[in-house]
Formats: sequence, structure tokens, C-alpha cells
Amino acid sequence: MADLVIRNLHAKIADSDKEILRGIDLTVSRGEIHAIMGPNGSGKSTLSHVLMGHPGYEVTSGEVTFDGTDVLELGPDERSKLGLFLCFQYPYAVPGVTVANFLRTAVNAHRDTPIRIPEFRKQMADAMDLLEVDRKMSSRYLNDGFSGGEKKRLEILQLAMLKPQLAILDETDSGLDIDALQIVARGVNHHVGADMGAIVITHYQRILDHIRPSHVHVLIDGRIVRSGGPELAHELDAAGYASHMAEV
Amino acid sequence: MTFLADRRRDAAERNATLGVPTISDEHWRYTNLRGIDFGAFAAAPSSVVLESGALPAGVLLMDLEQAAAEHPELVEPRLGAIVSTDEKFAAENAALWNDGVLVYVPRGVVVAEPLRARFTIADAGAAQQWRVLVVAEEGARLTFIEEHGEGQPGYANGVVELHVDAGARVEYVTFQNRHRETLHFATHRAHVARDAELDWVAVALGARTGKSRMESRLTGPGSSAKLTGAYVLDGTQHVDLDTTQEHDAPHATSDLFFKGVLNDRSRAVWRGVIRVAEGAQRTDAYQENRSLLLSPSAHADSIPGLEIKANDVRCTHAATIGRVDAEALYYLMSRGLDREAAEKLIVEGFFVDALERIGAEDLRETIRDALLAKLQ
Ligand SMILES: Nc1ncnc2c1ncn2[C@@H]1O[C@H](COP(=O)(O)OP(=O)(O)OP(=O)(O)O)[C@@H](O)[C@H]1O
Ligand SMILES: [Mg+2]
Repeated sequence: MADLVIRNLHAKIADSDKEILRGIDLTVSRGEIHAIMGPNGSGKSTLSHVLMGHPGYEVTSGEVTFDGTDVLELGPDERSKLGLFLCFQYPYAVPGVTVANFLRTAVNAHRDTPIRIPEFRKQMADAMDLLEVDRKMSSRYLNDGFSGGEKKRLEILQLAMLKPQLAILDETDSGLDIDALQIVARGVNHHVGADMGAIVITHYQRILDHIRPSHVHVLIDGRIVRSGGPELAHELDAAGYASHMAEV
Repeated sequence: MTFLADRRRDAAERNATLGVPTISDEHWRYTNLRGIDFGAFAAAPSSVVLESGALPAGVLLMDLEQAAAEHPELVEPRLGAIVSTDEKFAAENAALWNDGVLVYVPRGVVVAEPLRARFTIADAGAAQQWRVLVVAEEGARLTFIEEHGEGQPGYANGVVELHVDAGARVEYVTFQNRHRETLHFATHRAHVARDAELDWVAVALGARTGKSRMESRLTGPGSSAKLTGAYVLDGTQHVDLDTTQEHDAPHATSDLFFKGVLNDRSRAVWRGVIRVAEGAQRTDAYQENRSLLLSPSAHADSIPGLEIKANDVRCTHAATIGRVDAEALYYLMSRGLDREAAEKLIVEGFFVDALERIGAEDLRETIRDALLAKLQ
């Protein structure tokens, strides 16, 4: 089963000529967890934003399909409705918009008829409990003044409520303490399975002890230079990227 | 009644000597009246509607003309005592006002329910000269809502005088939702006496061209004025809000916070001056204006100003004009919200800190709904 298929993807920043993704090939099926590792600036976040439809990037060639649908033709909202979800490395603050209001609007955007308020409250409370998020957070303004860890938990909370088919986690582990990491991993594992595949972008083996990847890829300078099984992550953890850099 | 007839005659004489302001007049630099034929608007019969709950003894909410006849001792010393006839629109109003309202709350009396006057232009092409006189005597409390309904297109020109006597508290709401072709002019001026409080909320949604002067003069020590503004404009609407915070007495506080959203080719002007007189030590004055532009052709001007003659004061101001953050929009859209829904959420969030300043929950909700409805 081939769910997300990326073929020879090239992308650049919209208002410059600098190519950041230089031919990515990747296939992610439901039930699979693909870890992407790579040095700073290699293009990991760019890949995640290009997949989600960030207007600041331009695809110059290649294709991306999800269940056969051309993803690149769609806006971020339509990609979300198709089942794609990005846990942002740096989530944005939206002052004045409460978490609850935002979540309800997002949940409703994925439904034909608006969710009933009590049902929504229950879903939100359940997700908050699973992720050990203080319920008071629902009346705070979206990411406004949130700590790094709170922002990451809220990203996973959104994942839990929107139940995507394919989740991209961009350094969701960065800035999390051990306990929070386990909670976040629990949230992700709860959803990965027959219905969801995941791309986990990370610098550390640590998160992969909790969210166990089926595949590991090394992204350097806009290309996947090596792919393998879980053992590759351990190897990188020990030896770094030096030997791969030489190949570029 | 003779005092009123005399006043009107004097004002008419004064008005005859004053021309329509041009953009070389300091207060009209941003609002050009050229080409408007004010003579084309016909005088119309009164069309103001007054509403209130049960009024405590002595409280008056009534037609101002009638009040001048029945309670001259009350009206004569207060009417025209705050807004002079030096300026064209004020002079014209003093000569011609027709839709007049007196709000009078005697010493120490608290009116719990809001008092309301609704001004609308009933006939297309009509001129409405509206006028409000608010007298809150010592220690009185009241909420007054001055509402301008859609009605028909025409010309509205108003003068509002607010006497907030010592220790009184007045919540004053200006809700302007005139017809999209109406010209709306207003001169509001308040005198806030010792330890008195003025809590003033101004909402502007309607009119083709609107110009409101909102002037607060803090005449007594310990007095305060809290000024909150919210506006949403679209099409080719032009609204000019011209505010003053005049500190004539020491230990007074003024706090202005105006927020506006501009769409299409609309234009908003906010020009605000904090004026601190010599001797008004320990003044604490603040002004902030934030504009959010939803279209590349919308335009906002924010012109804060400080004129300070005392040395022991704290006066600050802030003004920004911004656009919807593209990254925030992308973030919300990545959760399934279409552009419109995402933008609506951001704009709703933009108004929250202004709305939070409105104490009365039902009023806050009404204003929030009106702002959001305008954004649809
Ligand atoms: N909007 C942008 N404007 C300018 N340069 C950009 C932009 N987006 C990405 N880049 C550049 O593209 C390269 C890849 O950035 P990207 O954020 O994708 O890296 P990354 O692999 O996620 O790095 P990290 O591990 O530090 O998160 C970097 O050199 C970065 O500076
Ligand atoms: Mg990154």
C-alpha cells in the first residue's frame, strides 16, 4: 500500500533561487513510521512545510500524491482535510483566540455538520487527559506565552483531535523533558497504526526509543543520502553525519 | 424658552460667518469635505427613540427641547457650556439641533439599567441635527448608549456634552452603524470632575464619511477617562476619529485604546492628543492605536501627539499598522480552516483586548457580534 508518495521533489524559497530540496524520493504507508534525521539546515523543516503547503516555498519539479491525489495542487486547508498533519517545529501564537475556540473551529472544518458542544468538550477533555495537559489551557490564547513544552503538547493535542492519516512531527521532541517526551510518544503511538503513518523528524535517538521507526532516512543538503532500518538511527547517534557528508 | 431662542439665533449668526472646513484646517487634514453640498440635505422631523428601564425618582431621559421648557434651571447652565460654537459643525448644530436628548441623573442616584437613545435618518436625503446633554451630578452613576442606526442615507451632525460631576461615574457608548451613504459628524466633549470616572466605548461600523471628535477634559484631581474604540470599515468608507485627553488637574488618569480593522479601499484616521496643562502633576496618560489591514488598498493613519506642560507626568503612546500575519494564517489553514475562517479567527482575536475592556458582558457580546457581523 503506497499512501504518501514523494517523487524527485525539488523546492526552493519562493522569492529566491536557492534550491533547498534537491530531489527527494520517499514513500510512507499507513502503519509505518519513518524517521528523518540530518544536520541543521539540511532541509527537514522545508520538506515538512512543502508537504503541508507553506506559501513561502515553491516546488520546482517532482510530485507528491496522497492516496493518489495530487497534493501539490491543494492549499494547506485542503491537505489537512485530506488527512495530512504537521506538528510544527515552531508553532505560531494567535493572541486573542482561545485554544478551545481554535480546536472547535478546526474540528468543525473537518466535519460536514458542526460538532455538538458537549461532545466536543468531552473529546477535548479526553485528549487533554491522555496528554496530561492542564484543562485550564483550553481558555488560554493559542500558543500565546506558552512554554516550549506546552506548545509541543498542544501540537500533539491537535493531532489527537484531528486524527490525521499522515502525521509529520518536526522535532516534536526538542525542548521536551523525559516525562513530557514519554507522554507525547504515548499520544502519537495511540494514533499510529492501521489508520495513520508518520514522519518523525528528529536529531536524537531518544524519541525513537518511544516512537519506534520502521524506516530511518538521512537527509543531507536537500537529498536523502541513505535509508535503512531502526539500526541506522543508533549508528548515526554514535558516529554522527561525517561519513555521509563526504558522499554529498 | 427664550434662552434657547436667543442661543439658536446667536449660533446661527456665528454659523453664517464660518465656512466648511478645508484640509488646511488642523482638524480636517485627513478628511476632505470638498464637493459635498451640505445645502442639499433637507431638515427633517425628529426621529429619535428613547429607551430605558424604570427610572429612579428625579432621573430624566427626555426630549431636550421639552426639557429646556420644563427644566430651564437644569438645561440653561449646562447646554453649550462644554461645546462652544467656534467650530462650523458645532455652530450649525447649536443653531439647528432638532433631535435632542437630555439625560439627567441627580446627585447620588444610581441608574442600574442602561439608558438609550437611537438616532436614525428616516427619509433619504434628510439632515439630522442631533444633540445629547448628559448631566451626571455628584456621585451619580449611569450608562448611556448613543446608537446610530442604519436608516436612510443623509447627513447627520451631532453635539454631545457630558457633565461628569465630582465622584460620578458615566459609562458612555457611541455605536455608529449609519447607512453606507450617510455623512456622519459628531463633536463629543466631556468634563470629568474631581474623582469622577468616564468609561467611554466608541464603535464605528457605518457611514460613507464619518468624523468624530471625542474630547475628554479632566477638570478635577483624581478623575479618570477610559476610552475604548473599535471599528471595522470596508468598501470606500472613510472614518476619522479625533481624540483629546486634556489633563487640566493633577493626579488624573486617561487611557485610550483604539483598534480598527480595514478592508477593501477603506480608510481610517486616528489622531489623538494628550494635553497636560501646567500644574497637572502626577498625570498618568496613555494612548494606543492598532490597525489591521485586510487588503492592500486599505489605509490607516495613526497620529499620536503629546503636548506636555507639567514635569512630573507619565505619558506614553503606541501605534501600529499591520497586516494579517501570513505565517499565522498558514498555521491555522494547516489545521483545515479555509482562508476566510482563518482570517476571521485572527481578526476576532485582534479585537479581544479591546473587548475585554468593556465591563458589561451583554454589551461586550453585542459589540463583538456587531464587529464580527461586519466582517462577513
Ligand atoms: N524562508 C526561508 N528563508 C530563507 N532561508 C530559508 C527559509 N527556509 C529555509 N531556509 C534555508 O534553507 C535551509 C534548510 O532549512 P530547514 O529549516 O529546512 O532546515 P532543517 O533541516 O529543518 O534544520 P534544523 O535541524 O536546524 O531544524 C537552511 O539553510 C535555511 O536557512
Ligand atoms: Mg527544522
